[in-house]
Amino acid sequence: MARILVADDASFMRQMIREIVEAQGHEVVGEASDGDEVVEEFKRLHPDVVTMDIVMPRRSGIDAVKSIIELDRKACIVMCSALGQESLVKEALAAGARDFIVKPFKPDAVVATLSKVVEKPE
Amino acid sequence: MDLAKYRAIFVEEAAENFAEMGRALLALEKNPGDAESIDTVFRMAHSVKGMAASLDYGTISELAHRLEDRMHTVRDRGRVSPGEESALLFRGLEALEGMLEAVKSGSQPPPGDASLLAALRAPLATDAVAPLAAEAAAAPAKAPVAPLAGAAQAPTALRSASVSVPGPSSTVRVQAGVLDRFLSTVGEVILCTSQVRTAASDGRADGGPFEEGLDRMERVVGELQRRALDLRTTPILRIVEPLPRAAREIARRAGKQVEVVLAGAELELDRSILDRLSDPLVHLVRNAVDHGIEPPAQRRASGKPEAGRIAIEARREKGHVCIEVRDDGAGIDLDRLRARAVELGMLHPDLAADLTPAQAAALVFRAGLSTAREVTEVSGRGVGMDAVRATVEALGGDVEIETQRGRGTTTRLRVPITAAVQRVLLVSVGGETLALPIAKVERILETPASAVEQSGSDAFTLVDGELVPVLELASLLKLDPPPRDALRVLVLAEVRGDRVALGAARVLGQQQIYVKPVPELLAGVRALAGFTILGDGRPVFLLDPNQVA
Repeated sequence: MARILVADDASFMRQMIREIVEAQGHEVVGEASDGDEVVEEFKRLHPDVVTMDIVMPRRSGIDAVKSIIELDRKACIVMCSALGQESLVKEALAAGARDFIVKPFKPDAVVATLSKVVEKPE
Repeated sequence: MDLAKYRAIFVEEAAENFAEMGRALLALEKNPGDAESIDTVFRMAHSVKGMAASLDYGTISELAHRLEDRMHTVRDRGRVSPGEESALLFRGLEALEGMLEAVKSGSQPPPGDASLLAALRAPLATDAVAPLAAEAAAAPAKAPVAPLAGAAQAPTALRSASVSVPGPSSTVRVQAGVLDRFLSTVGEVILCTSQVRTAASDGRADGGPFEEGLDRMERVVGELQRRALDLRTTPILRIVEPLPRAAREIARRAGKQVEVVLAGAELELDRSILDRLSDPLVHLVRNAVDHGIEPPAQRRASGKPEAGRIAIEARREKGHVCIEVRDDGAGIDLDRLRARAVELGMLHPDLAADLTPAQAAALVFRAGLSTAREVTEVSGRGVGMDAVRATVEALGGDVEIETQRGRGTTTRLRVPITAAVQRVLLVSVGGETLALPIAKVERILETPASAVEQSGSDAFTLVDGELVPVLELASLLKLDPPPRDALRVLVLAEVRGDRVALGAARVLGQQQIYVKPVPELLAGVRALAGFTILGDGRPVFLLDPNQVA
């Protein structure tokens, strides 16, 4: 089971992701509420997966992806996007994000995406 | 998934998002190109959209989405266009807040205002080619009228219905650092415990390391208590933040201009106190705009700037926080206020003339005056001022008002910083132990019973040459009367600003108590401000002297 770092500026969303992934037996090892914090927490916790919101204060999710990939080329990041953010998702994938899930989250979709990235390490 | 739990989180978090959005919109009104504020409004709308969509609040997520898109355009353009666009964004925020109110009260959010949604989508003339703009401008006219009216009324109706629904205030957001410090103190408690345990198992429970361990434990637990109380405090900003916007809105409707300045909003107060101060403050600001600030023309004529100024200022005063609402408006017409009080039979004409200006101004706190609607200027000040006073006094605070004709009015609320721990005087009355807040006690008198003079049903005694009414706690609370001793114990206390001697059987001492809310069954008894359990397990009620008499 994976160790997951959840980044979202809304605690509502963090809690929702936590509940979904914990029900699958994954462990949420940390939470971050802005783009700077997620990079710091990544350095500290070395999680297996990061779920990354795109719109966050201080540093956007995309810039955070770039910083994390710079630290660890193999980092596994899943973007959390909303409808209408397709171009940003593409940008994030180009920057090294592994996959994406779309808000509002459907638990099944989150679980499926996570197992996909966890089982298929690059 | 536990939807009720997520709904509560949503209500709290969205309210914070809206507050931040409001602050950013105000900043943009002053500086339309402030990139950080533009980004904040965008981000908050985006965040609310995501949360609302997760809970299937389609109308909220739709409106938030439109607002987000609009901010996207604004961001590309680099600035909010002042006037119309700024007002539109405020309207959007207000509509979102109305919808949140509905969610808070447990119902589905009302449908979005079609004209608002269309207006948010319509680009500014400068953003698009002319024909497009023209088409967009025509769009609102096509919107059906019915949902418009419904949307405008629903939030208000729901707002008043939402009173009894438990709000989200039972959750507390705490910074991680605060919890870390908390945990490290708990660690110390564990250390002390093991120190005591070791000393006890060595059979040396009679001194040295054992006593030391206990001393240390007492100190650390005291520290824990202080930290726990800190968790209960929150910046005043939380309740004053919406006031500038509220004032602006009230002023707009009244055709007035007003500028609101906040100061000291970073000061912290106990949450339970803060939450209850919100309504009184809104009320004071409303009064200041409605009845204090003059219309622009009148202000110009009297040599004032056209925009009125309201300052909301908080400052710390030894165990209290004082929050002042100060306007530079017309002030209260004290002569009319006096006349009105006489007319209503609240005041004898001779007395009315003798009132000092301060005493006359304090008449606004009298309950009866609040219904005097026909004298608008005066009554306006009076509406609910008695409620303001009652609320503040119930919190262990007080309120005063100062006014100067033509110069403005200042209302000052003083409340204790923490409500939870209070120093009290324990007295015995009719076999019961009661607690009185020490802050209200001036001193304790032991006087010969003969020094209490009976005059009809009233009793008086002479203190420092001043006649002070004596109130028997036993008879007020319908307990057994005190024994007919030669000496009487009287607690000289301040009751609604006046000195009063409260008769008790015995004084038991002073103590620091943790005040718990009055159990629900007794919540209707206004004289009880709270209760506590003493060290020996006995429950003791804390009296609110203001409500006893």
